[in-house]
Amino acid sequence: MSFLPNNATVGQRLRAAVTSPNSGVVSVIVLVCIFATIKSSVFISVNNGFNIASQMVFILLLALGMTIVLISGGIDLSVGSVMGLCAGVVAKLMIDGVPMVIAMLLAVAAGAGLGMVNGLIITKLGLPDFVATLAMFGVARGLLYLWTAGTPFLDYMTDTYFVIGGLRRPLGYLTVPIIVALVATLIVAVTLRFTPFGRHLYGVGSNSHGAMLSGVSVPRVRLLAYVCSGLLAGVAGVLLAGQTTAVAPDLGTGYEVYAIAAAIIGGAALSGGRGRAIGAVIGTLTLAVTANAMNIAGVDPTWQQVVTGLILLLSVVLDRASTLLRSRVVQIPIQPVAATTAATAR
Amino acid sequence: MWEIMSSRSTDAALLVDDQDTGPQGSVVLEARGAGKRYPGVIALDDVSISMRRGEIHALLGENGAGKSTLIGILSGITEPDSGEIIIDATPIKFSNAAQSQSVGITTIHQEQTLAPDLTVLENIFLGRELRRGSLLGRFLLDERAMRKRVEHLVEEFGLTAEDLRRPAGTLGALKQHAAQILKALAFDARVVILDEPTSGLADHERMSLFENMRRLRDRGVAILWVTHRLDELFGLADVITVLRDGRNVATVDPGTQTPDSLVRLMVGRRRSAVADNSSQARGTRWSGPEEEILRLESVSRAPLVRDVDLVVKRGEILGIAGIAGAGRTELARIILGADRADKGQISVNGKQVRIRNPRDAYNLGIAIVPEERKTQAVLGDFSLAKNISISDLSRVTRAGMIIDRSAERKLANVYVRDLEVKTSGIQQKIRNLSGGNQQKVVIARCLFTRPALMIFDEPTQGIDVAAKNEVYRLIYEFVDAGGGAIVISSELPELLRVSDRIVVMREGRVAGEVAAGPAQSEDERSDRAEVIMALAVRSSS
Repeated sequence: MSFLPNNATVGQRLRAAVTSPNSGVVSVIVLVCIFATIKSSVFISVNNGFNIASQMVFILLLALGMTIVLISGGIDLSVGSVMGLCAGVVAKLMIDGVPMVIAMLLAVAAGAGLGMVNGLIITKLGLPDFVATLAMFGVARGLLYLWTAGTPFLDYMTDTYFVIGGLRRPLGYLTVPIIVALVATLIVAVTLRFTPFGRHLYGVGSNSHGAMLSGVSVPRVRLLAYVCSGLLAGVAGVLLAGQTTAVAPDLGTGYEVYAIAAAIIGGAALSGGRGRAIGAVIGTLTLAVTANAMNIAGVDPTWQQVVTGLILLLSVVLDRASTLLRSRVVQIPIQPVAATTAATAR
Repeated sequence: MWEIMSSRSTDAALLVDDQDTGPQGSVVLEARGAGKRYPGVIALDDVSISMRRGEIHALLGENGAGKSTLIGILSGITEPDSGEIIIDATPIKFSNAAQSQSVGITTIHQEQTLAPDLTVLENIFLGRELRRGSLLGRFLLDERAMRKRVEHLVEEFGLTAEDLRRPAGTLGALKQHAAQILKALAFDARVVILDEPTSGLADHERMSLFENMRRLRDRGVAILWVTHRLDELFGLADVITVLRDGRNVATVDPGTQTPDSLVRLMVGRRRSAVADNSSQARGTRWSGPEEEILRLESVSRAPLVRDVDLVVKRGEILGIAGIAGAGRTELARIILGADRADKGQISVNGKQVRIRNPRDAYNLGIAIVPEERKTQAVLGDFSLAKNISISDLSRVTRAGMIIDRSAERKLANVYVRDLEVKTSGIQQKIRNLSGGNQQKVVIARCLFTRPALMIFDEPTQGIDVAAKNEVYRLIYEFVDAGGGAIVISSELPELLRVSDRIVVMREGRVAGEVAAGPAQSEDERSDRAEVIMALAVRSSS
């Protein structure tokens, strides 16, 4: 995002670091950590770090997909429901005796398939992304309720699945979900930064008409963004089923909100064209660290939601402030802002 | 499409130097009998045009003459109903922009087609990224190869290596144009289509753009150049094609033409006297008291507006000249309350006021016709009536809250008739009108608020000659009825013609003032133009 010359001085680099996107969020995390450390000796310990990490992974996987969709200029409200349904697919298939690996692959494919349905409705039927994914949010959740008939899927766990769900840890703190989340982050980061598909995502989100005129297949890029999001939700569902050991019909409810919050805290813009994989990590980390700190500090759980909301607000405000600061520093030529359209029309 | 892209990326040779070897002047692209109908309109009717290597081919025509449709067909965005496109003697069909590009046609559209968040380099290769050679590498971008391919072109076209790494949205209009030209040159563009490339550029910037066009021509590129500004053509265009009502009415050598004869070709026999007759149409001037409507005293907003003093009186048109970035639009935004002044005083009708937002400005009787019609003025999905009434709904509401739609229609109709907007009815959506007619609706919206002062920011940008004269007429009528007007324009002839006085801005300051006004001889006029240009570009001495 920033464009420093190779021969930038230390001062320039320092300033760029302070004014770069997400810097506000990072400072929130640092502040929370300092605060929590003062309040509690438990906070900075390997054990607690591990706790935070295992809370993070599912949100992180969803937030990565959400970041991809947000960059392309869309939004995916269905990820929580899709994750729950995919968890249900794994559980039910394994109960029915399907081999675990096949069950998992099918579940991930189901996630990608649902994402593709989202994408097709949006690109072929021309429905707004909000409407299409809101419908999927309801449909996928409803299907899980119908399928489970209201009672959780139980008794599908195997020894290997305990490892995959992160409940058994042959590698110490490095559990399978954490490894999967790290690998997924890396893949998404590389895709966004180094592949034509990634470049096209930013192009489409930044100026879809311009991208179309440049020869980018805009519908295909948007479709693929939703497939990625669904696929990651499927992966998260498979892992989640292993961690909860039971798939209740409301599994994953509300996760879409966390995913969107994490992506936005991480610097993704609802207007498209901006966002990074590392941002999803930072955003998720912010949510997890504050939730954890509040747990340790003994904050009432109902208050925790309020705080989460405020952090979302704060991070966006801080990002805005750093943007303003940056525009002062670099002195970007001021151009008439489109945001005043309605106002100037008067 | 994937095949095309990957096969291109593997040959790392510079395609620019590697163009097919036809001699200068051989036909590269030809459209034969192209036709396109839309419901109720024949946009293009049996148009043929051929483009040769190393030729600048100007395309003229009023708004609605079919230029955009023809460009759309050549760039693969619009599918023609009839006719064919021939490249290298082979007929070819495009069904999307990528296909047109793959045969070497690059279109630089009038609207913003750069992605503002991507860097210039990323924009240049958007849609046609170079990939690495190895098996796995085909999925990865080859940043270095992309940079290398354009590196040697960068400075030639007025950019720096540094600019390549900046987000396109942070560059000025000229550099954005240069980026688009590089986008054409980075691939084996044999045909470059420029759709009104000079709109929004100041005079000296246009000169550098023309330089760039000559460079393209020298490389053997065929250029199709759409413009409304007849004065630009001479000395640059090699051949001119004129469209009228969807037909090709003439393909001529510019040497045999004058601006007047071209205007006649463009408008046909319908209106023969629309040429730029200088002292036309200013009616009886305002004879009431010469009150000051607006006074600015050392108004500043860092960094683009500094210590500006100016006065606008009743019945007067004040022109503001200056190159892009001189702070003209920024000044307008302060007067409008869209931005706040850091210091200085603004008085309206002799009373000192604070304008904190456009609502305040509106209450004080200040209205603006903004620079960017599409993004800042027109509400595309609204009908004409709704577009006109939106700024002052109090005129058509009952009991202050319920919109009386029949009153709205009636009142809007009055404006549509007075301003002679060409439309099938006021319920028509504004997006279906031509640019000139849209501009009239925007002016109607301002007049609807019964303002005392109107600011026109590039009021005739992208509209045709006849519509320009109409806009001038509306400005004259407004001030002759006792209003005051500020006209900001990058076209000097326009400013000289329309203004009573011209204030020249440079680097945010008022660099000087020049009298304008109607009765001028040609010599007098060019003298004044020179004085203004000198003030606009040189440091004071």
